[in-house]
Amino acid sequence: MTAVSEAPARTQTRRVSLAERFGGLRQWILLAPGLGWLVAFFVVPLVLIFVVSLGHRDELDRVVLSNPSLDNYARAIDPRFIPTLLNSLRYAALTTILSLLIGYPLAYWISRYGGRHKGLLLILVMLPFWTSYLIRTYAWMIMLRDNGVVNSVLQAVGLTSEPIILLNTDFSVVLGMTYGFLPFAILPLYVSIDRLDPALVGAARDLYASGRQAFLHVTLPLTMPGIIAAAILTFIPAIGDFVTPDLLGGASTTTIAKVVQELFLEGRDWPYGSALGFFLMLITLVGTFIALRTLRREVVGA
Amino acid sequence: MTHRYDGSSIDIEKQLVRYMVEHKLTRRMLLERIAKVGAVTALAPIIAACTGGGATASPSAASAPPPPTGSAAPPSEAAAPTPVPEPEDELFVYNWTDYIGEEVVPSFEEKYGVKVTYDFFANTDEAYAKLGDDGGGYDVSFPISVDIPDFIERGAIVALDKTLIPNIANLGAEWADPGYDPGNAYSVPYMWWTTGVGYDTSRITDAPTSSTALWDERWSGHISMLDDWQEVFALTLIQLGYSANTESTAELDEALALLEQQKPLVRTYTTDTITAMSSGDHWIGHIWGADLYQISQENENIAYYVPEEGGVKGSDTATIFSGAQHPIAAHLFINHLLDAQVSASNTNYIGYMGPNAAAKEFIDPAILDDPAVNPDQAIVDKLQELLDLDQAVRDEYLNRWQTLRGG
Repeated sequence: MTAVSEAPARTQTRRVSLAERFGGLRQWILLAPGLGWLVAFFVVPLVLIFVVSLGHRDELDRVVLSNPSLDNYARAIDPRFIPTLLNSLRYAALTTILSLLIGYPLAYWISRYGGRHKGLLLILVMLPFWTSYLIRTYAWMIMLRDNGVVNSVLQAVGLTSEPIILLNTDFSVVLGMTYGFLPFAILPLYVSIDRLDPALVGAARDLYASGRQAFLHVTLPLTMPGIIAAAILTFIPAIGDFVTPDLLGGASTTTIAKVVQELFLEGRDWPYGSALGFFLMLITLVGTFIALRTLRREVVGA
Repeated sequence: MTHRYDGSSIDIEKQLVRYMVEHKLTRRMLLERIAKVGAVTALAPIIAACTGGGATASPSAASAPPPPTGSAAPPSEAAAPTPVPEPEDELFVYNWTDYIGEEVVPSFEEKYGVKVTYDFFANTDEAYAKLGDDGGGYDVSFPISVDIPDFIERGAIVALDKTLIPNIANLGAEWADPGYDPGNAYSVPYMWWTTGVGYDTSRITDAPTSSTALWDERWSGHISMLDDWQEVFALTLIQLGYSANTESTAELDEALALLEQQKPLVRTYTTDTITAMSSGDHWIGHIWGADLYQISQENENIAYYVPEEGGVKGSDTATIFSGAQHPIAAHLFINHLLDAQVSASNTNYIGYMGPNAAAKEFIDPAILDDPAVNPDQAIVDKLQELLDLDQAVRDEYLNRWQTLRGG
């Protein structure tokens, strides 16, 4: 907001707040579906998980909520979980970085050089969603195994004589996750790149910025909201993912999400699992909050 | 230890309530019958259903208000009584994927005019979560035998009315009184299996017989273990000469040390051994014996053995849940499963042995001759059954399992 019309702006604000008082119903109606969704499927489950995490179990593994305590959180902070937590963070971070490194140039290319095929190209990005994620992950299993396509090609070309173990490694997990979450990165990146006025880059070039400088000082900062959104949209599902590590992973790729699942189902210890799950959620929420704060600063800075 | 169910401690009143629920009898009806035909005749089937000291019950037990029990609430007076076992129109069954002969459900539907809704699950975690404490809308499901004491204690499954299951006579003698459910009071064994070691004979030619082959460095990167803490610890504990259900933390520590030594050689911990063993990625794996039948459809080079140190046996059971809306159809379905020909057709389709002695003559000889599915008595004698461990003991296992899997 500029300072030119400060006085009228203030009266306008007052009128809006009056309108809010009387016409608020319409706003609430517009807000209701989204808010209802958020409350029913996010806030309520989160509160439930938190409540359960304060309880303990009886001898039949049922959740008992009398004498609530933070004991389960003390149990959740256990050195036993550090390697698994680090695994999760490592996979999520690598997946996010790789998705950005692959997604950014692709989104840039679609936006700048896609021409009239932009829509088609974006549909192609989303095309994998037409097949179930599970089926696509199984396809990776078939391709990566010892006598799969990849190893056959490597041997046929003469790069290796024996099959390389690709499946059930860190490599296959990060590959599978990057493949799965890449579209989530491309879409927000595309939006922010496409919205960038090419004239701004042109102006930078007019002012004798090299192509690289123009990119680093104009394009990149102005598309930062898209980068942060893309990072959030890849990191969060990646850190909670247990399907990919379970199917493509091996003996040493256990993630924290798998441990939470195991505490619930194998350990039948819902309060303990809830505490660990809530802890994980808290980490994610704080991370998202920090990212969004940065995002707002970037937008305001722009 | 974890064996919480004790048949003799069930008192006459609980039995009475359960009997009335099963037969959809109200207390008033029972009293009317006592008045009509006399106490001894009216209560005879109930007394027969009671175990132990039940026979000393007096008719006054019937008129005393029964205390509420965990497993069965007395039906309301308004409930429409159906004393004749006419099956309900519908039945909801929840079983493992690919775990029933193709003709079994259609032949039941045809015989009794019951419409069966048959749903699948792929693992017990998913199934038990859905079944909850009352069956979650399903009448019949198939818990693993090890979990039966827990289901009984939670009141999730009901005692079976054997008068509706005459085919129970077909069970082999060794199944008359299983450890997890004495007298098959709440469950009927469905299929049983062993856990052992499968290996690819094209890769491993020296015919291993011990579970230590899973620790062999020559197969590094090509070994799979079950993603099942109890099975993995059982295999290791048996190898060390301990009980598969030990409560000794020292023995568990020893087993963990051995497993940590093995871990760098292990490629995956997985329960999907059919995919794992048939892909060619794994040369030797800790597998459920009866999966071999399906694995060998994909890879005919896989051989199987129960380790010479001993192995684990288990069984799935058919049970009726406390929330069952179609109890008579459920009993008739279980009876149907115990039919000799039906049981044999299940075995022929699934490749697991059933507990049905009468079925043997209808079973494919190739299955009967397969030591992986139908092992010799010498091996059967060394098999240990996994038990439902107490919470604190289970935590000891699970903590060590998470240490193993995380590190």
